[in-house]
Amino acid sequence: MNRITRRSMIRTSAAASVVLSFGGLAPSPIEAAASKSPTERILVVVELAGGNDGLNTIIPFGNDIYRKLRPKLAVPASDVLSINDELGFHASLRGFADLLEAGKLSIIQGVGYPDPNRSHFESMDIWHTCQRKDQVRNDGWLGRFLDEQSGDAGNDPPALHLGTDKQPFALMSRQVRVPSIRSLDQFRLHGAEDASFRKAVQELSDARRGEGNDLLNFVQSSTSSAIMASERLGSSGKAYTSSIAYPKNGLGEQLQTVARLISSGLRTSVYYVQLQGFDTHSQQPGAHQGLLRQLGDSVKAFLDDIESMKESDRVSVLAFSEFGRRVEENASEGTDHGTAGPMFVAGASVKPGLIGQLPSLNDLQDGDLKHHTDFRQVYAAAIHNWFKCDADNILKGRFEPVDVFKV
Amino acid sequence: MNENIDPDWAWSTFSPSAERPWDLRTAAHLFRRAGFGATHDELLAAVAKSPELVVDELLNAPEPESFLNSMKSLADAAIATGDVKQLSAWWAYRMLSTPSQLLEKTTLFWHGHFATSAEKVTDPKLMRTQNELLRSFAFGDFSKLLLEISRDPAMLVYLDSATNRKAHPNENYAREIMELFCLGEGHYSELDIRELARCFTGWEIRRGEFRFNKYQHDTNKKTIFGQTGDFGGEDGVRLVLEHESAPEFIAAKLVRYFVMDEPTPDADLVAPLAKELRESGMVIRPVLRRILTSQLFYSQHAIGRKVRSPVELAIGLLRCLQGSTNSFELAETLNNLGQGLLYPPSVKGWDGGRTWVNSSTLLGRSNLVRALITNEKTRFGKTSLREYLKQQKQTKARAIIEHLNSLLFAVPVPEAARDRIESLMTSMGEDGLTEGLHALCTLPEFQLS
Repeated sequence: MNRITRRSMIRTSAAASVVLSFGGLAPSPIEAAASKSPTERILVVVELAGGNDGLNTIIPFGNDIYRKLRPKLAVPASDVLSINDELGFHASLRGFADLLEAGKLSIIQGVGYPDPNRSHFESMDIWHTCQRKDQVRNDGWLGRFLDEQSGDAGNDPPALHLGTDKQPFALMSRQVRVPSIRSLDQFRLHGAEDASFRKAVQELSDARRGEGNDLLNFVQSSTSSAIMASERLGSSGKAYTSSIAYPKNGLGEQLQTVARLISSGLRTSVYYVQLQGFDTHSQQPGAHQGLLRQLGDSVKAFLDDIESMKESDRVSVLAFSEFGRRVEENASEGTDHGTAGPMFVAGASVKPGLIGQLPSLNDLQDGDLKHHTDFRQVYAAAIHNWFKCDADNILKGRFEPVDVFKV
Repeated sequence: MNENIDPDWAWSTFSPSAERPWDLRTAAHLFRRAGFGATHDELLAAVAKSPELVVDELLNAPEPESFLNSMKSLADAAIATGDVKQLSAWWAYRMLSTPSQLLEKTTLFWHGHFATSAEKVTDPKLMRTQNELLRSFAFGDFSKLLLEISRDPAMLVYLDSATNRKAHPNENYAREIMELFCLGEGHYSELDIRELARCFTGWEIRRGEFRFNKYQHDTNKKTIFGQTGDFGGEDGVRLVLEHESAPEFIAAKLVRYFVMDEPTPDADLVAPLAKELRESGMVIRPVLRRILTSQLFYSQHAIGRKVRSPVELAIGLLRCLQGSTNSFELAETLNNLGQGLLYPPSVKGWDGGRTWVNSSTLLGRSNLVRALITNEKTRFGKTSLREYLKQQKQTKARAIIEHLNSLLFAVPVPEAARDRIESLMTSMGEDGLTEGLHALCTLPEFQLS
């Protein structure tokens, strides 16, 4: 196993550049803030894990087929927050309705990809890597974006993942190790108050190990970047205060941490958060309602907070799920895995409103919606129009960006 | 991916050589993988026997009646609180104290395989029943285990089978039994899933037990993998098991768990094990024995080629030093590090390998070590760490480092790092032991098994 494979070469070079991107003298957060420019844009990705039921999110309340196939789960017209004569938000998405009203929400309908896979894990991998199972999958779409940007974030991590879940494949990069943070409070090394201990541990983790064990080199570069990032972030956002009331739940807390880090002047350009629980095979109404409320209220509070910091021009939020759900409900007052669904892009820079039609309920494939917009077209908008970066290599193909951004 | 490993060589019986002698370090590898870890004395005893004998002892280690009784009453007490977290702590304690490590390690394998989370199930009684089921079949007949787990109340709740009725079948279990439990993605069609879901209609829970409700069962014909019949749930399980991919899928997962994270074992490498598994009637024990006595298992492809899971890291550190601690806090910490016992993150279980490691978990793993050694409830051989090491005749900083290096590390600590930690320990005087052990266990090498 000592021979050098393509994989091991990639990982070795990754280890080398981590040292570069985190090495050297870290400037203080204040210095970083001073060098901030308004063109430094930020994307906050919200993953709705489990397969969000798009039809009960943006609801075709007047549609007969919808009512017929969902005798128990169809949301009555009286309960929706209408967008137009045919579609409306689930009532618990008040936050999104308010954002739309304020011109800060774009809803892209019917998003999916050809030959849809209904496995959570496989479909999530497709969304994260833009590659199918039979193709080489070493990195994610955001990871490839980070590779193209490398160096722009100075000594700050170019991307951050917040939450307790394992690190998303989308952030896997050949050149940088993206830190994952549960909470800023926990993100520190105990015992490091003692200078001699801190110094020893830092030196021991920074020292490069020899060739021959990829796994060891991976752990070494990860340890080194973890210790460096904990020093860097430990003092971030101490001065942050906010008058915005965030909902007291996982997503609300994570987005507030993102706001705190943005306010500290961190030059990170991608933040990644996750909301679990959308796999509603049974007893869907209560669970789904709670999740949508959490989503809408948290994103609304976050964007309000961003506005109060006068950072609206450089922050956009993108929300997606690995698939929608079957049009017909199952016997458990739930829905099984489906295909196309809506994506959301929010912030002051979006063209507000609905983009694209709801896929026809008259024209299903195996009981599922047919997509008309490829998810990579939405990614293309984020990469090409928002970050002003060439998207072809990142998305492994040319995709016409969806017209989401005003900028 | 494994083109440079010859499958015939890989699964032939390990014979110690000058390059890879059967010594303390090699024995420590066996115990780390086939269990959680062994003390210095246990390793010395193992080295005096043959590797095959030690593996046989691990596969057959009895749990005495007194141990079982004590575990039973502790589990009863945990359940009486109604809080699954207490049962999670019970399991951590069981891992720490069982004389049958391999059984426990394999039970954990099945828990990750048939991942069921108390987050959704919520009832500690059902979680315990499932846990005992996994333990009783850990080395046994996978076919029987699969059928039992398909009717297991916790699983029925977790994958919504409990409400699978003929009018509108729920596909959750049908999908996962093929994708995650038996065959792997790509070996079945969406139609197979829909048809298999109909086989399981009417499988319900009544008063915490499995029940077949014939009024909710779809008795019409189904077609699965091209075979047609009025199949019931048992037939559905049988058809999935008979699929040619099943033995390979299970064998590959055993190899990843016991032998190496990377590269993913390919079909050629796994083929001899898959064949043995099919020929043994899907009984796990002989295949597990073959894996643990193989050339591959004791080779450079395996040693130090796995990332320690949080359980392996924490339980291992304690078991190697005869440690005991507050099980509830330990279980909480395991949860924070991404391996909550009875709380796997999804039906796919834990991905393991590199996914155990990120900035938060690396800091958390390091902090866990410090918390363990400074916690007043933690004892080593019923005494303090310093006293325990003294009983092992280790008092000087350098000697302690060398002792821990051979006991705890699959990848040896680099010479320069030993020097650095020695000078840290000596500079700190009385506190040096805590700082030294903490620094050792923060080394990248410590994360590997």
